[in-house]
Amino acid sequence: MREYLLILKGDGMKDMSPNDLQSMFAQYQEWVTDLGAQYLGGQRLEENGAYLVSKEGAVATDGPFLESKEIIAGYFLVQAEDLDDAIAITKTVPHLGPYGIEVRPLVWPKM
Amino acid sequence: MSGRNDQLMDELFRKEYGKLVATLTRLFGIAHMQLAEDMVQDALITAMDKWSVEGIPDNPSAWLIQVSKRKVLNELKRNKMILEHHQNLSFANDEIAQIDSVFMEEEIEDSQLRMIFTCCHPALNAESQIALTLKTLCGFGVQEVANAFLSSKATINKRLYRAKKILRETNAPFSIPSGAELLPRLQTVTTTLYLLFNEGYNSSSGDSVIQKAFCLEAIRLTKYLENKFTDVPEIKALLGLMCLHTSRFDARIDDAGGIVIFEEQDRSLWSKDLIQKGMQYLKASMNEKRLTPYHIEASIAAQHSIAESFEKTNWKAIYENYQLLNSLKPNPIIQLNLAIIQSRLEGMEESLKMLYTIETNNSLVNYHLLPASQGIFLLKLNKPKEAKSYLEKALQMNPSEKEKEYLKAQLEKC
Repeated sequence: MREYLLILKGDGMKDMSPNDLQSMFAQYQEWVTDLGAQYLGGQRLEENGAYLVSKEGAVATDGPFLESKEIIAGYFLVQAEDLDDAIAITKTVPHLGPYGIEVRPLVWPKM
Repeated sequence: MSGRNDQLMDELFRKEYGKLVATLTRLFGIAHMQLAEDMVQDALITAMDKWSVEGIPDNPSAWLIQVSKRKVLNELKRNKMILEHHQNLSFANDEIAQIDSVFMEEEIEDSQLRMIFTCCHPALNAESQIALTLKTLCGFGVQEVANAFLSSKATINKRLYRAKKILRETNAPFSIPSGAELLPRLQTVTTTLYLLFNEGYNSSSGDSVIQKAFCLEAIRLTKYLENKFTDVPEIKALLGLMCLHTSRFDARIDDAGGIVIFEEQDRSLWSKDLIQKGMQYLKASMNEKRLTPYHIEASIAAQHSIAESFEKTNWKAIYENYQLLNSLKPNPIIQLNLAIIQSRLEGMEESLKMLYTIETNNSLVNYHLLPASQGIFLLKLNKPKEAKSYLEKALQMNPSEKEKEYLKAQLEKC
């Protein structure tokens, strides 16, 4: 088993209707339950923050810094056998569609 | 926080959205309605995010209020200039106590009333009023509103954007009108709620779940008005009318989702609860001499509700009510109804004569129910050839999906 970071990009939920959000909630809850121990965590990120490119340079604050589809909206951390397995899991993420998802293995596997 | 895996209350997000947007708009002012909407949207996203992993809290509504309050405080800290635009509250010293107070239950209802008057501002046209009401007060999505209007998401977005811009420019306070201003404003509001109701009840969009939700929302908002303005009889009449019509909602659609025409409805499916409520409101509305179209329409609906069967309906009373309605607001649709009811009194030949008069007057061009009625009567009179041409004509006039199915079934009998 390795750990994979699923990076969610976009602003897909911003213009979802409350009804659609609620049905997504039901799918999301089911997804977390179905994954069981393979679900390690996840967080949504605030849109505003800072962006630094050097120790001396100016700090750009109050993003968003990128095009909306490039914005990192949040992440999930999951356990999977290999990249194929991680991709298979990603295909079941209810957020996929409204968001693009980048699948990246962590370099140091646990154990 | 409990780890329960319960289902959320039906459409909880949508219902809370409207309440919270009204409350936040009261705090920030009409000019910042969009900010209020964005913040509530974010609160809902936060909720769905946390609850999915941690479980649904014991009191989801209270949880959403808590998160919204925190967002309001952060926003006020982040952006002090908003306070300058502020019209209804001053946050000088007891900021938090003031914010707490608008989130009290009765104040949330009061904010929604203010929002009703705002959405139905006379500077907006009827279409914008309804779209804005559905979006901000009822929490429907732009796509859902677009479906109801048989329009596109882009068109509705533009309409909403323009409506908010107009409201900003009128610089209207977020308040309930009073004094001489109240009655004309109330009239605009009841008209809009009546149209919103019709949008649900008669809409040609296919989704009966959404349609019923529109009707129930119209009832909910009209009830707020009734609670506040207890001595305005037309509000009661309108509420009665809405309850009586909605009582038949489930009987209108069969198990396969097809349309069941009034004559063939299973009356045991009519909601007795809603009929009873509707009759109460209608009765309460009658204690004054003033008669509005809502009174008459409610009376017609009531006649149907108390009739044992289609055959035993008091058609004469209904016909007279329609005549009265036609004298108050002459309208070819009412004339169409009069013609249809005539079939119960003088017979279908007489009806067809009246329908033919409407047809030759050209007062109802493009309204599919005119040729549809003609076709159905002709078919019943065993004139399939003539019926066929009218039914085909009706099919060309953009009936709803369900009506289309019904008309096609009739055509097969020709």
